[in-house]
Amino acid sequence: MATTPTSDIDLFADEVVLDPYPVYAELREQGPVVHLRMNDVHVLTRYDTIRGALADWESFSSTSIAFNPMANEALTGTSLASDPPEHTRLRAALTENLSPRALRGLKGRIEAKADALVAELVEKGSFEAIDALARAFPLEVVADLIGFTGHVRDNMLRWGQAAMQVLGPTNQRTAENFPVAGELYEWCSQVEATDLTEGSVGRGIFDAEARGAIPPGTAGHIIHQYLGAGVDTTIAAIGNIVALFARHPDQLALVRANPSLAPAAFNEVLRFWPPINAWGRRATRDVDIDGVVIPEGAQVAILLGAGNRDPRHYENPDAFLVERNPVDHLSFGYGPHGCAGQGLARLEAHAVIGALSRRVDHLVVGPEVRVPGNTTRSIEELPVLEVIPA
Amino acid sequence: MRIVLDRPRCEGHGLCEEAAPQLMHLDDDGELVLDREEVEGADAALANAAARVCPVAALRVI
Repeated sequence: MATTPTSDIDLFADEVVLDPYPVYAELREQGPVVHLRMNDVHVLTRYDTIRGALADWESFSSTSIAFNPMANEALTGTSLASDPPEHTRLRAALTENLSPRALRGLKGRIEAKADALVAELVEKGSFEAIDALARAFPLEVVADLIGFTGHVRDNMLRWGQAAMQVLGPTNQRTAENFPVAGELYEWCSQVEATDLTEGSVGRGIFDAEARGAIPPGTAGHIIHQYLGAGVDTTIAAIGNIVALFARHPDQLALVRANPSLAPAAFNEVLRFWPPINAWGRRATRDVDIDGVVIPEGAQVAILLGAGNRDPRHYENPDAFLVERNPVDHLSFGYGPHGCAGQGLARLEAHAVIGALSRRVDHLVVGPEVRVPGNTTRSIEELPVLEVIPA
Repeated sequence: MRIVLDRPRCEGHGLCEEAAPQLMHLDDDGELVLDREEVEGADAALANAAARVCPVAALRVI
């Protein structure tokens, strides 16, 4: 048996979460599994190992997706944090109204919304891209979809951000965000069908509960997951689309010349900058990976971005190239827990990429501002100084 | 070789159809239809590509 490589890197240090890629490269070279002493976490660093672990729910349990026990406790009973066979039932309830099958009627509306918003911003000529586009668009789409109104709509952003922050280790960011995540939890535990707009997907979840298709009391849980898992990540992805197209006008030009590249471009944005840095699992047994053993009970961190930049899997992985179309990137996870909202994320992102590529020749941007986060890696502010229209 | 679909797992993401449109398609209800299940040679390679891109691991080639 080989000795487990170890490292004194703190996975949640400000400088690491802001720019994890140099650290990922170092850890990936140490081995497919490295024990981080400061975090007491076994990190998975290489593409094949990560994809294998995501598929292997029997060895890698989702009962510890967060890096602190309070958050894992709070998530008990959700599909996110459960294993088969319970997971299979919860997942079916979650996706009944969220799968591409359920959403296929929405494509036209989402495309029209994205196009109208981008047209307005191009007309303005300069804007702050995170508030005006990356946040505004998915917040509106998700609020309309689930049927949120009033104060809930106003709280979606901070609740969604807090829900991701509290998945971190017991640090200051987690502590500061627990009360905010608690507001979301409270609201979801008492929300009723009549709080949501008639005809919305949110109402549909309550209808499913009423007719016994999902267990009593789970509708609130599901709405919690829509908000907790779907808001902050989608905002990150759309902000990243704008930032990467601004940085790489040649890549935007490729999509402009060939609009069918929009899905490929989104795959590459997600591969290059995954919205989520690290996601947890717990080893249910001693797991042997290339001769290194992850001991039973160990907390595992899956480094999605490390796998996405693994040169063993992707040629020239540090280059942003929309034509590579990395359909098998790891940013949505994979397998039984693969992102349940990825169909909606694709609809939104393809619509934004389509609108940008039709209406924008290139963007002149100022420096992007980032704020360290425990889970999501996103841009906080991105000033678009000038739009050169198509 | 044979393509096996785990129907309850399939959510209709449709990435398999993009990888292997000769072998499978989503119908008007968004349900996956396997147009061919027995595959050989180049088709087996396509089937493997389709199974590989399924985001929820609902397809296998055995």
